[in-house]
Amino acid sequence: MATTERPTTNHLKNMKSQSNHSRLSLLSAIFTAPALLWLAAGSAHAEKLAVEKDSLKLGFIKLTDCAPLVIAKEKGFFEDEGLQVEVIAQSNWKVLLDNVITGNLDGAHMLSGQPIAATIGIGTEAHIVTPYTLDLNGNAITVSNSIWEQMQQNEPDLDSDTPPHPISAAALKPIAEDLLADGEKLQMGMVFPVSTHNYEIRYWLAASGIHPGFYSKTDVAGRTDAEVELSVTPPPQMPATLEAGTISGYCVGEPWNQQAVTKGIGVPVVTNYEIWKNSPEKVFGVTRKWADENPNTIIAVTKALIRSGKWLDETDAAGKLVNREEACRILSQPNYVGADFEVIKNSMTGTFVFQKTDVLDMPDFNVFFKHDCSYPWYSDGVWFLTQMRRWGQITEAKPASWYAETVKKIYLPEVYRKAAASLISEGYMTEDELPKTDDSYKVTTADFIDGNPYDGHKPIEYINSFEIGIKDDAALSGE
Amino acid sequence: MSAKYTILKGIDIAGLNFLSPVVRLATGEEPAKQMKEIGRLIVIPTLAFLAFFWLWAVVAPKHRTKSGEVPTPSVVWDARAGIWRFHNYETAKQDGFLLQGKERETELARATARIAEVGMLEKIAREQLTAAREASTVKFDTTVAPAKNAYDTLREISRESRKGRTAALKAEAATLNTATEEARLAFLQKLRDTEARTEIDKLELAKLKDRYEEAQEITFPEVKDATRANTVLAEEKQFLVKYIDMLGKDSRELKLAAAKTKLKETRTSFLTATEGDLYRLGSGIIKNEKFIKTTASSKYAKPWTLPKQIVRSLLCVFAGFLLASAIAIPIGILCGLSATFMAAMTPFIALFKPVSPLVWLPIIMIIIGGFMPDPENNAFLMFFDKVPFIKNYKIDPMFLSSAVTVALCSLWATLVNTALGVGAVDKDHMNVARVLRLGFWSRLFKIVIPTALPLIFAGLRISLGVGWMVLVAAEILSTSEGIGKFVNDMYTNGSSESFAQMFVVVFIVGIIGMLLDRIMVVFQRLVSFDSAVPAG
Repeated sequence: MATTERPTTNHLKNMKSQSNHSRLSLLSAIFTAPALLWLAAGSAHAEKLAVEKDSLKLGFIKLTDCAPLVIAKEKGFFEDEGLQVEVIAQSNWKVLLDNVITGNLDGAHMLSGQPIAATIGIGTEAHIVTPYTLDLNGNAITVSNSIWEQMQQNEPDLDSDTPPHPISAAALKPIAEDLLADGEKLQMGMVFPVSTHNYEIRYWLAASGIHPGFYSKTDVAGRTDAEVELSVTPPPQMPATLEAGTISGYCVGEPWNQQAVTKGIGVPVVTNYEIWKNSPEKVFGVTRKWADENPNTIIAVTKALIRSGKWLDETDAAGKLVNREEACRILSQPNYVGADFEVIKNSMTGTFVFQKTDVLDMPDFNVFFKHDCSYPWYSDGVWFLTQMRRWGQITEAKPASWYAETVKKIYLPEVYRKAAASLISEGYMTEDELPKTDDSYKVTTADFIDGNPYDGHKPIEYINSFEIGIKDDAALSGE
Repeated sequence: MSAKYTILKGIDIAGLNFLSPVVRLATGEEPAKQMKEIGRLIVIPTLAFLAFFWLWAVVAPKHRTKSGEVPTPSVVWDARAGIWRFHNYETAKQDGFLLQGKERETELARATARIAEVGMLEKIAREQLTAAREASTVKFDTTVAPAKNAYDTLREISRESRKGRTAALKAEAATLNTATEEARLAFLQKLRDTEARTEIDKLELAKLKDRYEEAQEITFPEVKDATRANTVLAEEKQFLVKYIDMLGKDSRELKLAAAKTKLKETRTSFLTATEGDLYRLGSGIIKNEKFIKTTASSKYAKPWTLPKQIVRSLLCVFAGFLLASAIAIPIGILCGLSATFMAAMTPFIALFKPVSPLVWLPIIMIIIGGFMPDPENNAFLMFFDKVPFIKNYKIDPMFLSSAVTVALCSLWATLVNTALGVGAVDKDHMNVARVLRLGFWSRLFKIVIPTALPLIFAGLRISLGVGWMVLVAAEILSTSEGIGKFVNDMYTNGSSESFAQMFVVVFIVGIIGMLLDRIMVVFQRLVSFDSAVPAG
């Protein structure tokens, strides 16, 4: 055996591949029964995938949840699959999507709603698919200092260095109403019409009885009946726009909420972990055409991303996230997220800073692998579709079957399963890390800020369960 | 003696007039006069510049924004070092990726030694940082605590007294049902007074809160310095970790070697196996061969760094400038030759000249995008991939859009100046040409262009200057790699360094713009007849 004992964990992977080789030489030397057994155990997967394309360009937006892409590059997971990957910052979600569609990029870090919206034709139309969910949670809603002061006056409990969480929009309602009485509307920002942030801030406002406005065929800005007007601002420009007073609050991913704390221009009031516990956030998206032309490459990329997610969520015996600090250091490089290490660290290492005096332990604020995070769940897609219908982005009522069929066109659990099987045979993943599910739907959950239960199999009932929102004919549920 | 005049002539042509008194002084010509000239041309500008730096260093820290303090000259100098470090790290990774054999091993040993060293230094730096932080927390608490206490106490008092007042009023209101109108009105007045009282309380409270917040805003330069020192080391360590991986376990050489051994083994078993799946083994060999081929030619995917972005910006501005000249000079000549043509062109010049690059760019991006639906396999773009040097700078649709925008915004100065220059050709010269029966082309090249050259070059000089200014804006908007993209990235990064890094760009853009201008001045002087040098 050529394998020598190496003490450090850094070399563990090396050991593994070396022992594979030595086993292979064993195989060629003596063609015996045990070797055949090993062969049957899946050596077919242990071979390198023949990738159709070996140098890739992947786009991302400067947000901490691009981490799986960055880590897969920096820790050599892409290279292990024979891929040379350039990870390129994009200025906003629209440009990113356009670059994927035109082929300037092979794939990208996308909002969960983007592949869905593009496929069903909200905004730019193109068939986008996703084999991998990059992360859960990771967003927050920040309001300006003056709004926070007014909220504190409305709700004396908030006037404390450590106010009770989660903070609902109830304290915001009188402010919005006062403005309405003056013929004005409270202005808030989100990052993209089909972003998770749009649905989250709407959910939060509507849960306290504030109407965020409907979309319609003629109103593509989504402001019909609005009591609070939402507008689109690219994530990196959020703090500057808030400071300039154009908007009074925003919903965005990290580090842009922590940036507001650090610069002292606003106060994060609620995280999306509190709005919907373990909500899917970003996905890795490619065009259907690209996925069809590069069937092995997409598996190879998914493999690298799974390893990356695992690396990011690795914990020691005490449950402390061991690799996050290094990840923050990497992300703070100017060609990646580029914000200060300290700022990125604020939200990525298991805590969330609401105010300098109010730091909460939130170990699941950024989830990259655990809770079966990275699996492309159909039920996640259905949730976004129900919200698109609730707010009128989907202009026509659709039957429940349409929801199920649409997500099947977009989410690719079969690619994920192939990648996982390959990783399991290589020893990078264990069988029990692959979610056990028959139909790729998550079980019913009521982990929302308003406690309204969600079952992906019953989209029509779910849409109709909200006080504020479009209602559909119950007959469409098909039961 | 003649050497001196050649030097002086050279200085004159280069437009470096401030050097000529130095040369004259060195040769002993009228020392008093030369000293005076040196004072005016060298000492005064230097002093002005130093005064500017002094003013900057004094004023900058006074203006604090939410994006951080306005950087002082020394902070900007540090930021320059940061940009350079990032460039060096990435270049080292790019080179390290290709290293082989002995070289790779020595480099690996060097990096491993260095990382141990950096680890030690980082440990010390971290201890210093912790100490600085602790000291600052103590200082923070002692300075902030009084303000906080004052605020908290007053808040409690005003809350309690408000509660008390409200309770008293409510109790009184309960007795009012049987009271007279007068008493009721008196109560209303009381309510009003109480309300006013609450307002006053609120104002006082707000004042204290402001003071509390102001107190919270103290900064700790020692913490900032310690953090910076710590960051520099942590970044180097991060780089070394990756670098060691690249030279060691993840190195291309080792991967190739492993793949080759595996290929050999598979080959042997394929050739000698008497049972088993030969199809699988065979296709395994093909896959392995392909893997070896692609790995052998793979390169490190290096991110763009500022030096490379500067070169790409220069390429882009020259591409735009050449395009502008190719359009503007012929049209300008025609305008100068024919008054009718000039009349036809005037409305276009008047209409398009004032259009901003920010309007042109999106339009051009859409048009060029239409020509190149599949940029990866576009023949025109692939042509540039074969041109040496240029192939390193990835000519893409964004680059072309930026270059065309530069051209559209900068061609007007050349066009107008060319028309003026051609229009000013001496009528006598043209008459002589007519007498000599010179053809159109000979007249153009022998008389018109030589006469118009100085003005054409004056126009080109303005065009290049305009183009350079337009380019940075175009790059910011199109996110085409270059100086503009760098500025945009730094702006969106919003880290403590990025403000200073944008200042670095101001100087880089300024210096390059100045050099471009100097080059054009030299050309302009070379073609001018009034200069002592023949126009060539």
